[in-house]
Amino acid sequence: MLIFATSDKGGTGRSVTSSNILYRSALQGSDVCYLDFDFGSPTAGAIFNIAAVAHGTTRGGLHEYLDGALAEPQRIEVWAESDRASLRERPPGAGRLVLLPGDAGGGEFPATREHVERCADLFLRLEEEFDLSLVDLSAGRSWATQMVLAATAMPKLRSVRCRWLVFHRWTRQHVLAASGLVYGPRGILDIGTRAGHDYDELLNSLRFVRTAVVDPDSPELEGLKPAQVAWLRECNQDLLELASVSRVGRTMLIGSVPLDPVLQWREQLISDNDVHARKIANLETVEAFSLLAKLIVDDSAWEML
Amino acid sequence: MLTLGEVHTGLLQNSTALSLDHTTQLLDLLVGQRVRRSERPIAYAVSPDQLTGVDCRLPTASGRVTRGVGTVVSHAAVTGGHVVQGSTYTRLDRAASNRRLIWSHYLSRPGRVETIGKVDFSDVAQGFLSPAPQPQTLNLGAVSARLMDVVQSSPRLDRRPPFRTKRTRLRWAIRPAPDATAEPRGTFRVESDTLRTLELTAPHDDVSALVELCEDLALHDWLLTTLLSLMEFSLTGPGTRAQKIDRLRPAIDCLLHLWMPAARLDESVLPVWRDLEHRPGFTRQWQTSVTRIRDQVTLSTIALLEAPAR
Repeated sequence: MLIFATSDKGGTGRSVTSSNILYRSALQGSDVCYLDFDFGSPTAGAIFNIAAVAHGTTRGGLHEYLDGALAEPQRIEVWAESDRASLRERPPGAGRLVLLPGDAGGGEFPATREHVERCADLFLRLEEEFDLSLVDLSAGRSWATQMVLAATAMPKLRSVRCRWLVFHRWTRQHVLAASGLVYGPRGILDIGTRAGHDYDELLNSLRFVRTAVVDPDSPELEGLKPAQVAWLRECNQDLLELASVSRVGRTMLIGSVPLDPVLQWREQLISDNDVHARKIANLETVEAFSLLAKLIVDDSAWEML
Repeated sequence: MLTLGEVHTGLLQNSTALSLDHTTQLLDLLVGQRVRRSERPIAYAVSPDQLTGVDCRLPTASGRVTRGVGTVVSHAAVTGGHVVQGSTYTRLDRAASNRRLIWSHYLSRPGRVETIGKVDFSDVAQGFLSPAPQPQTLNLGAVSARLMDVVQSSPRLDRRPPFRTKRTRLRWAIRPAPDATAEPRGTFRVESDTLRTLELTAPHDDVSALVELCEDLALHDWLLTTLLSLMEFSLTGPGTRAQKIDRLRPAIDCLLHLWMPAARLDESVLPVWRDLEHRPGFTRQWQTSVTRIRDQVTLSTIALLEAPAR
């Protein structure tokens, strides 16, 4: 299955959330890979703690492959090559976790027919090997998004299952922008139908993920003054209404990830060690990632009402 | 003289074993050319040979620049309706002249690449077999992978494979043996998760027999690699015995009956297989694994039989 991760704006935590979801999925036993399609600023290497490709690779990444300069893009086995000790041991029963980094100093490029062809070939090859391939697209409308929409519309990818996750923060501007990215002009549905996708099918394979969500009922807010909590509740209510009007509401939601101090300070994978032994990350965050990892492959979560 | 090749092996992207007739249609890649097939002792079909023209640097261990011009031969094969292979090879010879000739010259020598300028064949063989990628040099693996992609993306396949697994690559090189009466000998190495190399010295120049040997070896190496990884995943993962057996199901359904080393090989190349069977002992490891799977299934059956008695 191919999962495309996109977001309305930068700074939503798309890369860090999707990496963590994929990491949880690998721990649950699936063979997974992560494709850094954020060609302007490849950072997946940093999230997986692989210093050599922290800001893209110099040994032939996805950009060079799509340009036709390489027969195959570089692959990094995270369990073997991560610099972080807690990631370097593959837990028993865990699946493969592979990173396909972008190129250092790459940039966005208009996709030609050849790019789309190579992109489709790459997806098919990964589909042979991995249960889940997560493609991290850049924020907003991008050439990469157009390219993958064109590639997945090709007849040879018709039997490959594709799903889209749109990440957004739980604020007014982000809700509006996420709605625009999906439903607006030159949005995913617009570009997708022009590339040959069926509108309803594409919409059915798309869900929103809320990131850095503050729950007004959370015990962590006990330190706030009553007026502040009341205001938060009011905002939350407004947002719920706005989301529902903008078609970003509950029926289109697949999960939310709570605000976590660790992720606020550093983009990284949250290991069980961070939660249970070091106690720096919240258990709720990891539970949200694990749940999302299950839901993205669970067909009943994708049925339309 | 030096013969180089690379075989890629993977699981055919179909939910069930493809019948030999369907396989034949699947591999019918060139109009007017027949797909070769055989049913005994195992269903096997191979596509017609395709030529790819090349004019590029040759990989070298020393970094010396050597140019080669000519054609490489490739074909795709499907065994047992489950395993697909893409195989590409070419023979390197010194060119008579020191410049590139007209293309018809190379087309009249299919499967030959002529080297222009100074060349040290053992240097090229080493460079070709080295696991470190050498960009912008002759890449036979890319041709094999491409051909496999063509087969795998065929609309005749339903793309719902029973399990997911990696492709493996066998890169091989054949040097002529100094003694014309000697038996062919090979050194097989497991370089990484997916890359294996085979260095052969062979006295005769029956390339097709040697190519078949390499393809057969690649097939069995893939079967063993895949079975071992399925077993590791099934038996070390969490879950009850029933769940573990369930995870082994694809191995029982698709792999166990495909083991048939050296089934179609020419007598002349059998010594290489014999050596490999002696050490590391492919069949020995396969048999042990199969027995282990059967034992697990038996234990699970016993557990089921005992359950109502409790």
